[in-house]
Amino acid sequence: MKWLSLEAVASVAYKEFLHIYRDRRVLLLVLTLPPLFTLLFGHAFETGELTGVPSLLIDQDNTPRAQEFIDIISKNKTFQWRHGLPDMKDESNLLGHGVRAALVIPAGWNESLENGDPKPLLLYVDASDINTADAVEGSVRQSLGDFQLKQRDRMIETLPEEVFELGKQLPVQIRKRFVSMMEMWSVDRKLLYNPKSRVIDYVVPGIIGLILQLLTVTLMACTIARERESGTLYQLMVTSLRRREIVIGKMLPYLVVSVFLVLVIMVVSGWHFGVAFHQLPALALVCLLFLLCSLGLGLLISAFSRTQTQAIQFSVFFLLPVFVLSGAFAPLEQLPTAVRYVSELFPLTHFCRAFRLVNMYDAGLQFYTGDLVILLAGALITFIGAVFLLRRIEQ
Amino acid sequence: MTEPVIVLKHLSKSFGNVHAVRDLSFQIEAGTIFGFLGPNGAGKTTTMRMLCGLTHPTGGRATIDGLDVWQDRQKVRTKFGYVPQRFSLYPDLTVAENFRFFGGAYGVPRAELESRVERLLRVIDLEEKKNTAAQSLSGGMRQLLAIGCALVHDPSLLFFDEPTVGLDPVHRQQIWNLLYDLSHEGKTIFVTTHYMDEVERCTEVGFIEEGRLLAKAPPRALKSSFRTRLLEVDIEPLMPALVRLRSLPELLGVSLRSGGLRLYVSDPEKLLARWRENWPFPDLRLLGERWVEPDMEDVFTAYSQGYHGVLRKPAS
Repeated sequence: MKWLSLEAVASVAYKEFLHIYRDRRVLLLVLTLPPLFTLLFGHAFETGELTGVPSLLIDQDNTPRAQEFIDIISKNKTFQWRHGLPDMKDESNLLGHGVRAALVIPAGWNESLENGDPKPLLLYVDASDINTADAVEGSVRQSLGDFQLKQRDRMIETLPEEVFELGKQLPVQIRKRFVSMMEMWSVDRKLLYNPKSRVIDYVVPGIIGLILQLLTVTLMACTIARERESGTLYQLMVTSLRRREIVIGKMLPYLVVSVFLVLVIMVVSGWHFGVAFHQLPALALVCLLFLLCSLGLGLLISAFSRTQTQAIQFSVFFLLPVFVLSGAFAPLEQLPTAVRYVSELFPLTHFCRAFRLVNMYDAGLQFYTGDLVILLAGALITFIGAVFLLRRIEQ
Repeated sequence: MTEPVIVLKHLSKSFGNVHAVRDLSFQIEAGTIFGFLGPNGAGKTTTMRMLCGLTHPTGGRATIDGLDVWQDRQKVRTKFGYVPQRFSLYPDLTVAENFRFFGGAYGVPRAELESRVERLLRVIDLEEKKNTAAQSLSGGMRQLLAIGCALVHDPSLLFFDEPTVGLDPVHRQQIWNLLYDLSHEGKTIFVTTHYMDEVERCTEVGFIEEGRLLAKAPPRALKSSFRTRLLEVDIEPLMPALVRLRSLPELLGVSLRSGGLRLYVSDPEKLLARWRENWPFPDLRLLGERWVEPDMEDVFTAYSQGYHGVLRKPAS
């Protein structure tokens, strides 16, 4: 007897394909949602920065200099300013004012700057969401820095002639040091791997992975469970089909559907968002291994569950942590080290890493061999596990 | 005597403390229509599923054509077709697609498959429904389709688990005619049922209750295992009579059959003579009596209720 009968696999695959083809509602869902989700998620992650935070600005100083600062900070896109009255007392009641931050320019601010004892600006920030709090504070500092730079330039321009005369009497070395201190020290930034700093390029593998895991894992998870529910699994088991033939045959049509979906998502993100794809053969390999691993996972869940309802519940519970912990949309480095080990268990983590290494870094095989090996191991383990679990229904 | 196709030796199955099948030993010869009769939960389906290699025996063993049904289940599978109790084909696939799938699953050569499907469609009389989805078929047609799919690899042995449950008399007759045809072709048929009239159509009958085999013999032999003649009496009013007679200690049992009461009693002649002399129930009237041939229901009742007074060992 051969290890695998291709005719047997083909008959299971054809039957499974007919199931997909006949279930028009699911078919419609499978064909329309992925491109739709790609558009939606793509636009959602188009810009990574915070904009239009509703904020309150209270100018208690009411001087031309304060106004100058207000002009600068008004141009900062982080904020959507509303101006409060100077005599406002409840500026810390952010919720009541319907804002996330309040910036107060204290009375006598201009004077304190003139007198060499600068008063601090007062900033109230909604810290319920830590990211917003940090970004708001950073934006205020940035605007304040711009303002200070302008003020300094103006001061230098308007310095009386005697100061320059005095300065000329200083030794050259000291004078150079002064000039250096007066200049803003800068960083000359060269952006590598994603020169246009586009979030969408980073996020594409996340979108592919998310949509495919959602669809393939749940659809696949339902296949064996459905046969178990309807009793056809016993009918299948009394035929001369072997478990491996059932498992491989069931997987094949879903693999074809998934490959098609990957192509659709890549075409949509390439055409609509201008994402470029490099090293297509390597990308194809990464995608294929990821798909096999996801499908294997679905099969494993399917062989384990008694009903389709259970299968869907298991898939959802598995997929929930994956979205947060896989680094699909945010770098893994955000996570504490211990949690990162958990992340390494998810196929999506390795897929995203390998996909980015190929597509953004144009990296050689040696950089992502590890990820490929893990995906391959995952596919093998889940398939063998599914075959083994199917054995249990015979007992 | 032909070679036995199925041999059971002390076959048992327990689920924890529940003993579904206990120590079954019997054999079935080729060409038999074996009817496996018993109430729900008696162990019929479990026995059949063990024979099909769907569940492993917890004791004893069984063979089909000399191959162990559990150890060699992969090899045994090509030898039999199985029609489970529940409709277990693919409802979204058409009649022809179901056939082709099971043909492929049993490894029927592609060149032969189409002609075989055509022939089976004629046999089960579903040629016109060839391209109809299985879910749109009536219950009887579904059952015929299930039988057809179990025949696609041309097995010599067929298992039917209550094939006519819930079907109208016309389809029941159609299915039995099909079974006769199959038997005529030389196939061995193993069918479970709890319809007494269907048991009469088998060439061999096994009674099972609480996982134990009570008797196994051809229907005629089983009926002749009634040691005594069976007395049927007409009494009025009927229902009070049924209740009163049931409480008589010398009667093993009473059963109501088309208006008459059949009495299971070890010496009916003596009872009748006594009643003629002295009728013990002043409020009931004995209208008449006659001697009847026991039918399968009488036999099964006697076996399952343990009316040993009326039975002798069947000549098997």
